[in-house]
Amino acid sequence: MTSRTSRRVIVPIAHEPDAQMTCDAVDAYLDGEARIHILHVVEKAGGAPDKAPREAREEQAENIFETVRTHFDGGGHDIETELRYGTDVVDEIVAAAEEVDAEIAFVPRPSGRIKRLLSGNLTRKLVANDRVPVIVLPAAGERPE
Amino acid sequence: MAEERELSKDLGLLAALTIGVGTMIGAGIFVLPGEAAAAAGPAAALAFVVAGFIALFTALSISELGTAMPKAGGGYYYINDALGPLFGSIAGWGNWLGLAFATAFYMIGFGTYAAIFLPIPELLFLNPSQVGALVAGLIFIGVNYYGTKETGSIQVVIVIILVFVLLVFTAVGLFHVDTANLQPFAPAETGGWGAVLPAAGLIFVTYLGFAEINTVAEELKNPGRNLPLAVIGSLLFVIAFYALVMLVVMGVAPYEVVAGHGEEAVPRIAESLMGWTGLALLTFGGLLATASSANASVLASSRINFAMGRDRIITDWINEVHPKFTTPYRSIAITGVLILVFILIGDIEVLAKAGSVLHLIVYGLLNVALIVYRETDAPGYDPDFTVPLYPIVPILGAFLSFALIGFMAPIEILLSVGFVVFGAVWYVLYAKDNADPTGLLGEAIAPEDDDDEDDDVYRVVVPLSNPETEQPLVRYAAASASGRDSGAELVVVNVIEVPQQTAPSQLDLEEERVQRQQELLESARDTAEQLDVNLRTRAIVGRNAGDAVLSIIDDEDADHVLLGWAGPRRRRDVLFGSTIDPILEQAPCEVTLVKDPTEQPGDIVTLAGRGPTAPVSARRAAELSRTFPDTSLTLLNVQPRPDPDDAEDERSDEEERIDPQRAGEAAIEQVASAAELSPDEYETSVLVADDVRRELITAVATYDTVCVGTTGESMVARALYGTVPSDIVENVDGTVVMARGPDRTPRTVRQGILERLGLTTDR
Repeated sequence: MTSRTSRRVIVPIAHEPDAQMTCDAVDAYLDGEARIHILHVVEKAGGAPDKAPREAREEQAENIFETVRTHFDGGGHDIETELRYGTDVVDEIVAAAEEVDAEIAFVPRPSGRIKRLLSGNLTRKLVANDRVPVIVLPAAGERPE
Repeated sequence: MAEERELSKDLGLLAALTIGVGTMIGAGIFVLPGEAAAAAGPAAALAFVVAGFIALFTALSISELGTAMPKAGGGYYYINDALGPLFGSIAGWGNWLGLAFATAFYMIGFGTYAAIFLPIPELLFLNPSQVGALVAGLIFIGVNYYGTKETGSIQVVIVIILVFVLLVFTAVGLFHVDTANLQPFAPAETGGWGAVLPAAGLIFVTYLGFAEINTVAEELKNPGRNLPLAVIGSLLFVIAFYALVMLVVMGVAPYEVVAGHGEEAVPRIAESLMGWTGLALLTFGGLLATASSANASVLASSRINFAMGRDRIITDWINEVHPKFTTPYRSIAITGVLILVFILIGDIEVLAKAGSVLHLIVYGLLNVALIVYRETDAPGYDPDFTVPLYPIVPILGAFLSFALIGFMAPIEILLSVGFVVFGAVWYVLYAKDNADPTGLLGEAIAPEDDDDEDDDVYRVVVPLSNPETEQPLVRYAAASASGRDSGAELVVVNVIEVPQQTAPSQLDLEEERVQRQQELLESARDTAEQLDVNLRTRAIVGRNAGDAVLSIIDDEDADHVLLGWAGPRRRRDVLFGSTIDPILEQAPCEVTLVKDPTEQPGDIVTLAGRGPTAPVSARRAAELSRTFPDTSLTLLNVQPRPDPDDAEDERSDEEERIDPQRAGEAAIEQVASAAELSPDEYETSVLVADDVRRELITAVATYDTVCVGTTGESMVARALYGTVPSDIVENVDGTVVMARGPDRTPRTVRQGILERLGLTTDR
């Protein structure tokens, strides 16, 4: 088993615009002891053509990781990045957390009504999982100080 | 630090078949039978088989290409890669516009079917089918723009429904076939048998889709088997299915009646067989089929855009993935506009033929591309599946695809010629200045003649990047080239590396780099003039310097490549450098790597051990010593002190029985004769020591230039392992020349690492 010498936190990032915001939130709410594991999941259709070419999605993932690395370069947190593929994003995030015995911390993103209707609310699904602990981080800018 | 999961290979044969069948069974079989009947009478059924037969050759070819390089981007990618950006422009636009025409055709089919039950009004100059098509088109484009997830299971359900609907139709229809309707099979009124091929050209569009399986090739289990099975299997299935449906359609009613129903032929025939249920069932099937084909085509065209943008045939701007929707939204929007414009053309026959013709051009070129890959022995081209009866299959595939265009009406032939001209003009006006000129390129054709003429010339390729080491490197290369009876020539190369995504705003910077490139090459020309050697320069703009140099080596049929090396890197994923690694691993010719080259090699030492590469190293050392003034050449051999405990050196077993001094001299003599050195041009030095490695490093450190051979098996593996050469590099301040002999079996990094692991377990 993984020893719990330091706390591990899986931080899923969905999109490029969320990357910076999530980094700020991690800075604000997670202490320097935690090992941060940045995760991006490329959603696969599993037997049908995907909505975007895979290589294009991988480039996008690399952009996210780049933003994250630049942000944490030389500062505070011990960062790892991971790219996974899966037909169910929430399942992949939870599986990633289980694998390294980590908890999940993420910044919920307000999704539009139509999007919520079409894809279900990822925030709710993630919080509702009963396999790993989940921390919901407020977006750092909105923190009352 | 960064982890990346391998994309899981979990799609089976069935999933792949479903994609092929689902994409192909579309508007064509529902919408076109009426038009086909009008064109060829009952023989329209034969036209479907003929068109499928022609597609089959291309299906075989694309299977081979897909197992060799699973690339999104359909036929376009392979054509651009193999035939260069001129044909890439033609194929890319052909593929893209062909799909847009086909999608417009699907949408009109959708609109027509929707109008069977819905009261769709006419609008301005638009008929109800067009109005329906525009609305449906907007919906499909919107869905793909915002991105909803299509899943494999939905795909399976759609295919099952389509197959079920058409099976019910044929099963019921077979009981009502009146063979009199099939007589005469090729009526004179429609042009007899001569009408079959033009009709095949019209309905060729119904077979688009088998190539889409390639988009999931990387996720297939056992792709070497499953990809060709799925591509060819789905095509054969669809051919048989179409033939059956067509026989029923043509057998149930006289062909004039079928033709009279036009686009609604299939549901109207179903209505005559099963009443309202039949009409509803087949209308529903038609809507589903057109929708799934349209969706697949929009997705496929975004892949083609992606590949074209990568190759700079069009701007890469188009490929940005939307940060939130994770869709290639610009590509989809532009394709969407094209589709909507084409819907305005309105004539279903024109759209279908445009889709057919453009794809026939692409498929023809695709078969040619396969031949080029095979004939040029493209590096890394190693398909798991190979077409049977090569080269007959791709030759027939190309010939039949182009020939079918010839059977269409003159106006369509003219349009396709016009389109090819458009592609060529696009190449001249846009792609020529932007696209990556490397790759297999037109180089595949050109060098063949060169090879025959001056095959004997000893050709040294010198990739240059650093102006400071330009002079000594050109001199070293000249040293290697001089003294060849058959003549010699240097080819100096500079590669401007363009990152995968370069925004147009970065083009100023390119100009600056081009300027620097010109200066560097100019300076190399001056050096060569002083030395009186033949020198050609090649300025390349490429995605990847290593690949560009490799393709030059291949193109020039080089005998030797000589590169400067800045010294050990600290990055883990590169050994010598991301440019040098692939050259070391894959270049078939001799490779020399020079660290800190100088104009005065001075005292030169070469290691003369038992290794197979010692002669190459000795040859390089001798070349330097012959060409540069005030040099000395020493062949050095270090022998272990005869001691059975000494397990450090692999050679100890066989050496220990004889006198080490004599053994060393014998080894040196052997190396000298293998390197064709005359006895008066070198000195011999044999050292005997307990720690061979340390002695060696101490000894060579006293010389100005150290030449070492690395094993021809895998330079990278040896370097990884930390053998003598890399110890020398780390401990010697002077010039280090690492030489490798020709290696005709290319290797990958992975292989190098595996070899390394094999070595590690030895110890």
